[in-house]
Amino acid sequence: MMNSITINNLTKRFGNFTSVDSISFDVKEGEIFGFLGANGAGKTTTIKMLCGILSPTEGDALVAGFSIKKEPNKVKLNIGYMSQRFSLYNDLTVEENINFFGGIYGLNGSRLLERKQWVLKIANLNGKENLLTASLPGGIKQRLALGTAVIHRPKIVFLDEPTSGVDPISRRNFWDLIHNLSSDGITVFVTTHYLEEAEFCNNIILINAGKLIAEGSSKELKTNYLKNDLYEIECSNVVDALEILEVQNFVEETSIFGNNIHISVNRNFSSTQQIESVLLSNKDIKISRVNKIVPTLEDVFIHLLERDKK
Amino acid sequence: MISRLRAIAKKELKQLIRDTRMLFVIFSFPVLLLVIFGYAVNFDVQNIQLGVYDQERSDISREFINSLTSSSYFKVTKTISNYEDIKQTLDKKDAQVVLVLPKDFSHNFFSAKEPAIIQFLIDGVDGNSASIIQNYVNSAVYTFNLKYQKQIVARYGKSLQIPIDLQPIFWFNPDLETTKFLIPGLIALILIVSAVITVALTLVREKEKGTIEQINVSSITTIELLLGKSLPYLIVALINASLILLAGYVMFGVVVKGNYLLLFMSTLIFLFACTSMGILASVISDSQQVAFTIATFVSLLPSVILSGFIFPIDSMPIAVQILTNITPAKFFIVVLRAIILRGAGLEAFWTQLLYLILFSSILLGLATIINKKKTEFNR
Amino acid sequence: MKTILHIIKKEFQQFKRDPKMFGIILLAPVIQLIFLGYAVNMDIEHVTAVVFDQDHSQTSREYINKFSSSNYFEIVDYVDNYDDIQSHLENGSATLGIVIPNEFEKNIGRNRTTPLQIIFDGSDGNKASISAGYVMSITNKFARNILMDYRNKTGQKISPVGSIEAEVRAWYNPELKTRVFMVPAIVGLLLSVITLILTSLAIVKEKEIGTLEQIIVSPIKPLQLILGKLIPFAILGFVVVGIILTAMTFIFGIYTRGSFTFLFFSAFLYTLSTLGFGILVSTLSRTQQQAMMLAIFVVLMPMIFLSGFAFPIENMPQFIQWLTYVVPLRYFMTIIRGVILKGVGFSELWLELLALFSMGMAVLTRDSSYF
Repeated sequence: MMNSITINNLTKRFGNFTSVDSISFDVKEGEIFGFLGANGAGKTTTIKMLCGILSPTEGDALVAGFSIKKEPNKVKLNIGYMSQRFSLYNDLTVEENINFFGGIYGLNGSRLLERKQWVLKIANLNGKENLLTASLPGGIKQRLALGTAVIHRPKIVFLDEPTSGVDPISRRNFWDLIHNLSSDGITVFVTTHYLEEAEFCNNIILINAGKLIAEGSSKELKTNYLKNDLYEIECSNVVDALEILEVQNFVEETSIFGNNIHISVNRNFSSTQQIESVLLSNKDIKISRVNKIVPTLEDVFIHLLERDKK
Repeated sequence: MISRLRAIAKKELKQLIRDTRMLFVIFSFPVLLLVIFGYAVNFDVQNIQLGVYDQERSDISREFINSLTSSSYFKVTKTISNYEDIKQTLDKKDAQVVLVLPKDFSHNFFSAKEPAIIQFLIDGVDGNSASIIQNYVNSAVYTFNLKYQKQIVARYGKSLQIPIDLQPIFWFNPDLETTKFLIPGLIALILIVSAVITVALTLVREKEKGTIEQINVSSITTIELLLGKSLPYLIVALINASLILLAGYVMFGVVVKGNYLLLFMSTLIFLFACTSMGILASVISDSQQVAFTIATFVSLLPSVILSGFIFPIDSMPIAVQILTNITPAKFFIVVLRAIILRGAGLEAFWTQLLYLILFSSILLGLATIINKKKTEFNR
Repeated sequence: MKTILHIIKKEFQQFKRDPKMFGIILLAPVIQLIFLGYAVNMDIEHVTAVVFDQDHSQTSREYINKFSSSNYFEIVDYVDNYDDIQSHLENGSATLGIVIPNEFEKNIGRNRTTPLQIIFDGSDGNKASISAGYVMSITNKFARNILMDYRNKTGQKISPVGSIEAEVRAWYNPELKTRVFMVPAIVGLLLSVITLILTSLAIVKEKEIGTLEQIIVSPIKPLQLILGKLIPFAILGFVVVGIILTAMTFIFGIYTRGSFTFLFFSAFLYTLSTLGFGILVSTLSRTQQQAMMLAIFVVLMPMIFLSGFAFPIENMPQFIQWLTYVVPLRYFMTIIRGVILKGVGFSELWLELLALFSMGMAVLTRDSSYF
């Protein structure tokens, strides 16, 4: 399969501050690619560079086959972009918004008509062309925004946190839409902080403080980056229990998940009884359950970010 | 009440002092504005550009032209040789006034039959400058006549008696510099604009951040909160006022003739009125954008045009004169001119101060009512 | 070109959606013109005077009568000492004090020169010098009549040897009304404020809702974007100019002597630069607060003080005059006053047009490098 995006040592500095620090990765054609990281990790800066609206300090990237440094305008012809703000004109009607965005991408005549029908269909707005955009519910507005962002049938679409602030059902519907785009052959490059959404992606990369710290499919991330076994402990007096566990020589890392504790164990670990015995040394702690679990992406990321901190 | 007010004011002052760059801007900008605009604001008409169309070119015509240019008021910028050129000269603003000396100038001047008639054609577009030019022209001709007639009469061993010797005396400002008169207006303008805008913006920013809600749920009343937050800016504005006065003295020689304590008290009352305007603007608006637009429109334009700073209020129609009461700058300018230029005492302007106090109370009252209505509406 | 049309169309659709705002944009300038137009008047009328008449004679009364019967003066009080004059001047209740000495009539009757003191409140230098001019012309006329009377009585012939009579005529504005000068300037000022504020608001709004970003990622060229945003507001500016010029003619009776076509063409070039500055301000500043401070201190205040709006540029010191060259309104003031009041056109004003054009281009080029 062809690469849709190829990134080479991409770097962006603002004064002394390095926002994106020499990252390199590839995105394959037609895949859903998850771009993850904490707020301020450099996600938006990277997307802006890939869209050709911010020029890199060093390095380059090929987007749909064009260099973002040398041919940003050709890049722009081949991409769509939608930010978390679903940027539409609230004071225009649905149809006026579609016409406008279609217009600035040079669509007209029968082509515009056909694409307009398509956008209306995916946004479930057939027959409601004359509604003011301001009156639409959030989920519909989001679908309309995505529709207008890909009205010119780009090869790649960049979605910057497209589901923030939308209810769970709309979110689920929206991901169905993303899958449809992908099966039409459009590459979807998406950032999100919902880790369960990242599970829907074919490939994921994780950046922290401008640096790439992990990449692979969700399965690869779980196996390649988390070598140790993971146990979940349900007990009373979680804080005391955590204090005890942290200092044990068989424990590698600890973290709190809801009311439970997750620990990763190293080779000094033999059986779950080891855990029970150290915890029961404190009379206030009552254990309800200890069992081995399959790691989630969240476990992996906490592990990676902790490691990166050290 | 006082202790809570102090607590808020203290917090605000600390935040303000921490932001050194902002402090620098707040203190340096008004002075800079005063210096630049202080040089720009004057109506002194000097170096009037004179176009000369001398059709005769005689000794006496040259002498007359010399008598004009030897004063610092006129300088010849254009010599004209035909009538069409006069229109061109005035159209292109190559001269502000054109002097036409006719062919028979010296003949008539020395004949006893009739006076020599000459023409001055003034560019009347700027009516104010034109009136002043007109005065200069008249007085130059009068002086020239008098001098010449005295000489002629003296040849016959007599002295010419003119009936009235007019002795104008100009108090408070003998050189009739207009800058000194305009500077108090500029001071009021700079103070009102910076005070109203900073206060309005600070309060609205707090509103946008939502911290104001936090404070609203505590036992502090709105008016305590608003006053407490504005107080430090009042102090800043007072310091600003002193800096500007100092700059006015250093750069333009504006000396305060009256009492400093009175000046301080009046400035304080004026700034309090400005602060109230800022508070009202912030209560009405929900975003910095709106607050700014309101603050600009209530502070900048009225203070320039309706305050008597440039355009005398007496010359306005009654309806507009009533409208001028919306800007506190109007009252402060009267006070400033009285104290700074004339050294007058409280009896000359106590009504202005009273009005300013009344103005502030009405605005603060309005702000409280509107704020109450708005919070109730939100619930 | 088509892309520009799409942006223009969208802009007008947005105007249509908010008819209230549209009404305000069109009506507000007229209302402002009316109020400001009546306010901007520097004519010195009703100069208040107090009289200290030490002579109490027929002649002194005649002299005072000349003042009260003229349109310019209003006698507010008769006093009998200098202290009262002083307190009148200090309180601002009078602008000048006329002091008529003892033996005023007697001296005049004997053909002797009599001194006459006029004490002015000089603090408003402009008012003082103009009223001094009025005083001078009243007094000179009075003195000439006395001289003629005396000569008639003594049988001497009038001998105007060595006398010049100046005929002073003011062109363009014969009655020297300052309002005629200021109202066209208000038109210019209002046009600047409206276009400047509207564009910067429009850009800031698109920035906030994120649509600006959405447009920038499209293959649109910066110049297309800027022109597309600019043209609707330029058209709006045109409409506003048309409306306030009509209002100016009907309300203040000021007619445009020059060519309307030329005036509109210059207004177009001028709006290029104000709109350009509007975009510049909104792009330059990182926060809204900065944008506002910039707009007010760097754009609006210089427009008022350095454009020649109220204060003649010729009177300013040289280095301030240099500063005025970067204020576009300076050039437009000259044009609008020239066209309306003098009826001049391209041959007199081409330099100003050129300045406006190059400033507009410069600032728009700078703007397009931002996007």
